[in-house]
Amino acid sequence: MIKKIILNIALVGIVVFVLDFAIGRTLRYFYFRESSGLHFRSTYAMEQTRADILVFGSSPAVHHYIPELFESTLNMTFYNTGRDGNGAFYQLAVLKSVLKRYKPKIIIFDWSDTFKKDVSSYDRISSLLPYYRTHPEIRDIIEYKSKFEKVKLLSEIYPFNSEVFTIAIGNLNVNKQRKPDNKGFVALYKEWQCKINAIIPNPKYPVDTLKVNSFREFIVLAKEAGVKVFVIYSPMFLKFNRFQEFDICSKVCAEQKVPIWDCSRDTVFLKNNRLFQDIGHLNYKGAVIFSKQILEKIKTENQVKTPTL
Amino acid sequence: MIFTSFNFLLFFPATVIIYYLTPVKFRWLTLLFASYFFYICTKPVFALLLAGVTLSTYIFTRLIDSTSIERRKKLLMQINVCLILFPLFFFKYFSGINYAILVFLESIHVRLDLPDIKLILPIGISFYTFMAIGYTVDVYNEKIRSEKNLGMVALFISFFPLVLSGPIERAKNMLPQFNAIKPANYEMIVQGLKLMLWGYFMKLVVADRLGIYIDAVYGHVSQHNGTSLLFASILYPFQEYADFGGYSIIAIGTANVLGINVIQNFKRPFFATSMSEFWRRWHISLISWLTDYVFTPLSFTFRKYKTWGIVIALMITFFLSGLWHGPALTFIVWGLIQGILLSIEALTNRKRAGFEKKHNLNRKGWYIFAGICVTFILFSASEVIDRATSINEAYHVFHRIIATRGTLFIGTPSTLIFSGIGLTMLLLKDFFDEFLPSRMLLFGSKHKFVRIMAYSSIIILILLIGVFDGGQFIYFQF
Repeated sequence: MIKKIILNIALVGIVVFVLDFAIGRTLRYFYFRESSGLHFRSTYAMEQTRADILVFGSSPAVHHYIPELFESTLNMTFYNTGRDGNGAFYQLAVLKSVLKRYKPKIIIFDWSDTFKKDVSSYDRISSLLPYYRTHPEIRDIIEYKSKFEKVKLLSEIYPFNSEVFTIAIGNLNVNKQRKPDNKGFVALYKEWQCKINAIIPNPKYPVDTLKVNSFREFIVLAKEAGVKVFVIYSPMFLKFNRFQEFDICSKVCAEQKVPIWDCSRDTVFLKNNRLFQDIGHLNYKGAVIFSKQILEKIKTENQVKTPTL
Repeated sequence: MIFTSFNFLLFFPATVIIYYLTPVKFRWLTLLFASYFFYICTKPVFALLLAGVTLSTYIFTRLIDSTSIERRKKLLMQINVCLILFPLFFFKYFSGINYAILVFLESIHVRLDLPDIKLILPIGISFYTFMAIGYTVDVYNEKIRSEKNLGMVALFISFFPLVLSGPIERAKNMLPQFNAIKPANYEMIVQGLKLMLWGYFMKLVVADRLGIYIDAVYGHVSQHNGTSLLFASILYPFQEYADFGGYSIIAIGTANVLGINVIQNFKRPFFATSMSEFWRRWHISLISWLTDYVFTPLSFTFRKYKTWGIVIALMITFFLSGLWHGPALTFIVWGLIQGILLSIEALTNRKRAGFEKKHNLNRKGWYIFAGICVTFILFSASEVIDRATSINEAYHVFHRIIATRGTLFIGTPSTLIFSGIGLTMLLLKDFFDEFLPSRMLLFGSKHKFVRIMAYSSIIILILLIGVFDGGQFIYFQF
């Protein structure tokens, strides 16, 4: 009986192994063949870009920095590596992959994440899974997700879990028309219609030291590579109570002697419906004003050094 | 440790191997160790509570069995029920009652600066408490003899497949199985593995994927229009079924692999044609527990009121069912709605049955379909209250469904596409099991090739579109 059970389980195991290998490899092939969309932008940021100015961060980063303005004003090339919903871990992983290849001149780190201990931040590391095999420099970050990640990654399908549809879309031209990006920047064109007056409370939370350390490591690595780093708090429609993360951010930035600019309380933007698409994201009009502001600040700092390549 | 954690995928095969390597006589001991290890892995300190409930139940059932004086027996039974209910009330209702008192005092301008106490509910407490109560009452009613071996009682209450979320088993079914553990049975092991696989599919592919959409809508009720809220409200019962039904199937399958039979907890509830039938198919173990230990004694007490006695018993039973879910007003209202719906059916039952018989409606497809639709609509509507965080929010959901229109919120298209694939497969399987039980047998096909391909395809589908970063099981909160 035991022999029969083991034999049947082995049979299922073999079929699963073959299917997993075939489907996983196919997905991998098409994942790295994508020519637009989230996956493509991540791959491009980690494996191809050689831009002088790189923007890091989550969704505000993706929507707030106009490439043409930066390129024409600073006379440098530009790429936006931001990815929606991804915090310190993802940014650090992308930076490590970038620094393995070359040294950019300026890094704008748009910090909109919190340092709160929450499972979802670790779940988001999933977006790095396709790169585990080819990017040994980011493996330690991926293993933050769980201690079993190495074992799970024995499956060829696992890194592409829930991505079938996105991979298919990324390989079609339709995606370029539906959600086009310009050097990683995705413009938003709607205006925020809702009226919200309340200040959203943000109670004190337990800090995730791993996130703080990743944020610090990001700045240290960039500085060690001779890159000029600017940490920015993007404008918000409302005044959020973000004292806790701002305190931590300021402390790390002060200790690393990196400028930090809090634009989340800038009255040009606060409660200005015309400049926002939603409470956390500027529309194109807002992004133009904000990009110009940041460029002014960078010019004022006027400390851009040419790194040695 | 939960069934969907990677830890469980290591724990379970290890337990099975050790279990079958242990001599049959001592297998119950392996199960007991495994069960406590499993429970300790969730939060060690709560294992003390589990042990306390076990010890109290053991001592009192032994005392009940050893006395012949009826009044003394009853007193012992009542003491034990109170003792084992105390932790449940304390952890589940203390914060709620405390908050309600503070709100009441504030309304009469008495302000007390008391600390806000938030207690963590020991996982599974509602389930194992009911199992312990059932066992105590059964011993008192002399349906079974008290178990002499403390270890067996401990195993019954802590049995790891059931301890976190049921099914709420009975001692008369479980204790004889633990006392006479049978040698490995090929059919049962295979059946268990099949059930586990399907349970994982229900949970990871259907429930957690639907949950992404439903949470996005219900998490921001004021920002969504009636169309999206209606759609999310229709999907929610399916999420609950796939989540809790999936959990139950994994639990039953896990027990089967260990050679233990456990009662069915869900029986294709969305093919029920009336609310009373629905409640014979949904969370069967809880409803049968409530029927035996609450409804039947109550309807006996109120028998002089005839049909109205049944109505009173139904209302009290479902009020308690709502309260069992939690101390929130939403759960109580939800329970009362179920009671009202079932009471209406009870009151109209005779006339309806006569009408159906006269026109031979029970054999007509359109009538069965209409019954299924009406039952689903009634249940979905009541679930809006269950899902909402407050009565006020439930009112807003209903109001927006009726008053606002607009385009459907899609979110990430893949969420709805994958949900659609999973839900279609789940409902198709249930449809065939319900109406055409000998057709489309994939897991049960005569051909080995078909079976192997079916198992493998489900595993691949889980890997491809399952949600691995999903939340906990919905019923863990109860």
